[in-house]
Amino acid sequence: MAGELVRAQSITRRFDSRVAVDALSFELSAGEILALLGPNGAGKTTTLRMLGGLILPTRGSVDICGERLTGRTAARLRRAIGMLTETPGLWDRLSVRRNLLTYAHLYNITKPRQAVDRALEIVGVLDRAADLAGSLSKGLRQRVAIARALLHNPQIVLLDEPTAGLDPASARHIRDVIAGLRAEGRAVLMCTHNLTEAESLGDRIAILNTRLLALDEPDALRRTLSGTRVEIDVEGAAGDAATIVKSFTAGGLEVRGAKLVLTSVDANLVPDVIAALVRGGIRIRRVTPEQRSLEDVYLALVNEREEVA
Amino acid sequence: MTPGASQRIGGLVAKDLAELSRNPGATVPPILTAIAAMVPAFLITIVTPKISGEHVADAQELQRAAQRAAELLPELGLLAPNAQVQAFMFQQFALFLLLVPVVGSMALAAHAIIGEKIARTLEPLLATPISTIELLVAKTSAPFALTLALMWATLLVYVGGIAAVAEPDVWRALVGTRVVVMFFVVGPLISLVSLQLAIVISSRVNDPRSAQQLGALIILPVTGLFVAQLMGGFVVGVNALLAIAAGLAVVNAGLLYLGARVFQRENILMRWK
Repeated sequence: MAGELVRAQSITRRFDSRVAVDALSFELSAGEILALLGPNGAGKTTTLRMLGGLILPTRGSVDICGERLTGRTAARLRRAIGMLTETPGLWDRLSVRRNLLTYAHLYNITKPRQAVDRALEIVGVLDRAADLAGSLSKGLRQRVAIARALLHNPQIVLLDEPTAGLDPASARHIRDVIAGLRAEGRAVLMCTHNLTEAESLGDRIAILNTRLLALDEPDALRRTLSGTRVEIDVEGAAGDAATIVKSFTAGGLEVRGAKLVLTSVDANLVPDVIAALVRGGIRIRRVTPEQRSLEDVYLALVNEREEVA
Repeated sequence: MTPGASQRIGGLVAKDLAELSRNPGATVPPILTAIAAMVPAFLITIVTPKISGEHVADAQELQRAAQRAAELLPELGLLAPNAQVQAFMFQQFALFLLLVPVVGSMALAAHAIIGEKIARTLEPLLATPISTIELLVAKTSAPFALTLALMWATLLVYVGGIAAVAEPDVWRALVGTRVVVMFFVVGPLISLVSLQLAIVISSRVNDPRSAQQLGALIILPVTGLFVAQLMGGFVVGVNALLAIAAGLAVVNAGLLYLGARVFQRENILMRWK
């Protein structure tokens, strides 16, 4: 695939007898945000660590910018990756600038001061560069940690719960920064528990619970997993209308007085159903399409997986 | 090590030094040790005789021990009786100064490594191109350099103090091969043992104080040697010091192997909790 920066092929990670991630495969391209959703302990952080070359998969392979990630290549390939870890991990006794300058040296950046200022400017904390990291609020610390991840201008950005525990304004600012990363053509993989955030930022969403349960665009994910739910209010009893509808869809159909409730119906069929009802002389008062929320989809998938387990 | 290693190690060492300079608490134990290691020598050799109005050479046992030591350390033989006993005592107590690299390395390394664990700053570090061996070198360099600086500063103060308050030429008798081997060969080696032990211990504990307490176990051989020296009235000469240095080099090699096994990226990330 053109612009593909990350390719994970059937990666599995075991810790002794426990399987943290099982046979996970996906690709991530430049200018794309992939949101990784999953309950606690689903293997999201382990996945990020494998992609970031911090730990190696027990089985399967990871390619970064077309090159296989191994024990030998990891240190070099980490230059292409910026990683926001679960906690900001700043040195509290040092200034924000000193924190980032240390990382600039670790990445062998030739003009460290300029790189630090540029990264701080991106996240809007350049004016706090001289402050001690320990004096910053949680939101500002998170921004500095993101600046650290962007310091070396990486093509791939891995973010572990970037807005967890932040106030709405700080979270909004960080989401804007993440959207900006996509606009700059970076590939972003973001772990989150925030479904709204995943939906608003993610070009695609992966739902993980040790195994990959689903991976698609948010709309498609909702459609393919739940179908569309449509309520049709008709005049009079809905019995005749139900007979017509049954010939169109194998999805669920419920009759509640003058109301038909179609569940798991293909959204593309809805106009045909309405036309057939009109042709059949049914007077329609209102059609209310309703898609299940991403939360419903997520919970259904995760619960299903847990029941199976 | 890969290209750019010196910049990466240098950056991290500079960071550790900056952090230590803002955390005076971490440097208190080694400084206190330095003071505590120096004071007894002056108390016993200079202050007590002054208070009692006697000379250390009046103690027959000490005089005999000093004369025996002069066979091993010819520079003592050139001194007058009282100066000879003083020089002998200061030579004996010089061994005590080796506690500075032991305690200093352990205290500073425990902060440098466990401090990162506590602050949860290790994972972002591991996500950079720095290799584990570079990280290991960087995390031990700052404590090593500081400890050596402190040990040599302590030695300077010790010799300076002797020059100021002891009989003339006693300090000259101290500055010889024995002291050079002790503080420029054994001292750095003992500091490395302490540092490497700190790394191994740090992988198992989460509190700098626990690491320091466990690490304090290596104070015992130094103290034991010192006490044996006093009780037996012998001097650990240059040859004995070189033998100790060889032993420490072997211990260092073993600890390096163990430390390298413990200090693996995945171990640090998954098990150092």
